[in-house]
Amino acid sequence: MKPLLILNDIRFRRDDFVLTVEQLELQPGRIYLVHGPNGSGKSTLLHLLALLLIPEGGEVRFAGRRIDGGVDRQRLRRQITLVEQNPFLFDASVYHNLAFGLRLRDVRGDLQRRRVTQALHAVGLMGFESRWAKALSGGEARRVALARALVLRPKLLLLDEPTAGLDREILPIFERCLAALPGQGTTVVIASHDADQSRRLAGITLGIDRGRVISAAGDSFTQLKENA
Amino acid sequence: MHHRLLTVPLLLLLLAAPSFAEERLRLATTTSTENSGLLAELLPPFEQANDCKVDVIAVGTGKAIKLGETGDVDVVLVHARTLEDKFVADGYGVDRRDVMYNDFVILGPPADPAGIAGLKDAAVALGKIAAAKATFVSRGDQSGTHVKEKELWTAGGVEPVGDWYLEAGLGMGEVITMATERLGYALADRGTYLSYKDKTDLRVLVEGDERLFNPYGVIAVNPEKHPHVKFPLAEKFIDYLVSPEGQAAIAAYPRGGDPLFFIYEK
Amino acid sequence: MGFLFESLQQSLQLIFSLDREVFLAVWTSLYTSLTAIVLAAACGVPFGATVGLLRFPGRGAVLTLFNTLMALPTVVVGLVLFGLFSRQGPLGSLGLLFTPWAMIAGQFVLAIPIVANYTLAAVAGADPRILPTAQTLGAGRLQGVWQLLLEVRFGVMAAIVAGFGRVIAEVGVAMMLGGNIRGYTRTMTTAIALETSKGEFAFGLALGIVLLGVALIVNLFLNLLQQR
Repeated sequence: MKPLLILNDIRFRRDDFVLTVEQLELQPGRIYLVHGPNGSGKSTLLHLLALLLIPEGGEVRFAGRRIDGGVDRQRLRRQITLVEQNPFLFDASVYHNLAFGLRLRDVRGDLQRRRVTQALHAVGLMGFESRWAKALSGGEARRVALARALVLRPKLLLLDEPTAGLDREILPIFERCLAALPGQGTTVVIASHDADQSRRLAGITLGIDRGRVISAAGDSFTQLKENA
Repeated sequence: MHHRLLTVPLLLLLLAAPSFAEERLRLATTTSTENSGLLAELLPPFEQANDCKVDVIAVGTGKAIKLGETGDVDVVLVHARTLEDKFVADGYGVDRRDVMYNDFVILGPPADPAGIAGLKDAAVALGKIAAAKATFVSRGDQSGTHVKEKELWTAGGVEPVGDWYLEAGLGMGEVITMATERLGYALADRGTYLSYKDKTDLRVLVEGDERLFNPYGVIAVNPEKHPHVKFPLAEKFIDYLVSPEGQAAIAAYPRGGDPLFFIYEK
Repeated sequence: MGFLFESLQQSLQLIFSLDREVFLAVWTSLYTSLTAIVLAAACGVPFGATVGLLRFPGRGAVLTLFNTLMALPTVVVGLVLFGLFSRQGPLGSLGLLFTPWAMIAGQFVLAIPIVANYTLAAVAGADPRILPTAQTLGAGRLQGVWQLLLEVRFGVMAAIVAGFGRVIAEVGVAMMLGGNIRGYTRTMTTAIALETSKGEFAFGLALGIVLLGVALIVNLFLNLLQQR
């Protein structure tokens, strides 16, 4: 199968922090877990994968296509969605939050409404459309943020610590949601410090430490080498 | 929804856009003619007959003539003969005509600390005010009244300086108010004084000196200096002011009250 | 005391009998100020947002300049524009002096630094996650900035209202550039100045009351929006 995203010899620097990825291939319809201690570069890696950060050197290929220009980046970014660890909800209704990305992709009218309803259903927030985003509880807000990403049906979904600090009852809803995604052809990358999650989600674990993606386990499709 | 938010001010903007249908004649004149209410009476018949609007810019005579020189107005109606003659001689104004006159009076508080009541010589009266160092409020704004006042100080051989001499830099009405509040003297045109009669304690103390004669002239701005001025309309306006109709309206103003302006016998 | 009370009575009569002179002055004030503020918002908001978001050399100088311009005396603006618009001036051929458009231009100049500065403050104080969030959902740079402005809409509205407050209450520009022409460029403020000079205290007071009323309505409107 053709990899969805390939990183080759990537180097990114911000102040004192350097992130290097020798080679990383993400296959379609799989779940990856990026595991590592705080400050190891998990978030930075996710931002690179989201094409939000531009590496100093190396090559990024998305669906076989090399990315260099800004227009490319902007267009391809529409197939990738990132949910931050501490997500920001727009000061508007839940519906407006979910419809934001759909409008940008010209999904309007009935189709838009149906997709929003579906996505809210998937995260267990039926009937939340007209609720005001800023008035939601912490757990509800996290689920709205996830629904806001799911509704776009991205090829690549990036989640930064999606379950940290989440209520015990909500955790299964989350994981059920995520487990269903590979079946829909979505590749998921989750940054987490919870190693058990990988097992529960039958995912591939990528280790990261001090800016280096250092190991791969559980799947032969990824070839990660230790950085010298 | 955010687009709708914008529509409201845009609609207002459209509604608000001033119409450009009529021709507009710009008249620079003195505060005395505007504040007396004469123009509000005099202009509407002319505007109707010529399908135009007269924009009245009420300033001091000096400023009014300056606006004529720069071509920012089409016609001026002022009262300072020396300035008017210079305006015409310099080629900025054409076709000066006498419109009407009234007279200046020296106003003062009833107590009259300088003792000028009943004097027939205005210059002597000002001299006594200066000698008594009694408060005097001057327009101080290069208006026709101010120009006249300076002529009178010169004629009396007095230079008005000192803390008793207040240069207000304000219009006639404000100066009358100020003199009332400060119990001072002031030179005023009779028209403005009469319209303020109910609001001031000041009395006419000196009148009738022939130097207190106050003629008003109307002058069109020279189209050779400023090609954009509305000369034909300005000419029509001048013709209207000196026409029997215009003259009758001036003489009859205000209806049922003491006349504020007088017309020349033909 | 009796004098004030009597005047107050008379002025209320003038307002409620919809006195033509009062009405015209109120109308002139409103439409010139509204036009000026719409134009100032159309220029000042994008400008403030740009300076608030971008980091460029000379930014500090721009900030200082705008802070200084905020305190610009109205008569100075009047003086400079008088020179520009007079028939002797560079823009004299447009014939703008002593028209509502000259006043609108003057009020525009007065309002723009206020609108830009307050917008800048609102944008600079906005949540730093807004732009990246919009981008991860597929927004381009401009779409992201638009969403950011929506997020700080109360700050932007406050900027516009502050600008409106300044232009509707100012007298220098309206007097010098409009010429206080009855029924054409006579605004509430120039009419108050004139009527007070004529000793028509009640008339001036009537307009003063209307001016207060306008300020009250604008602020109530703003409050209403904020509570929504």
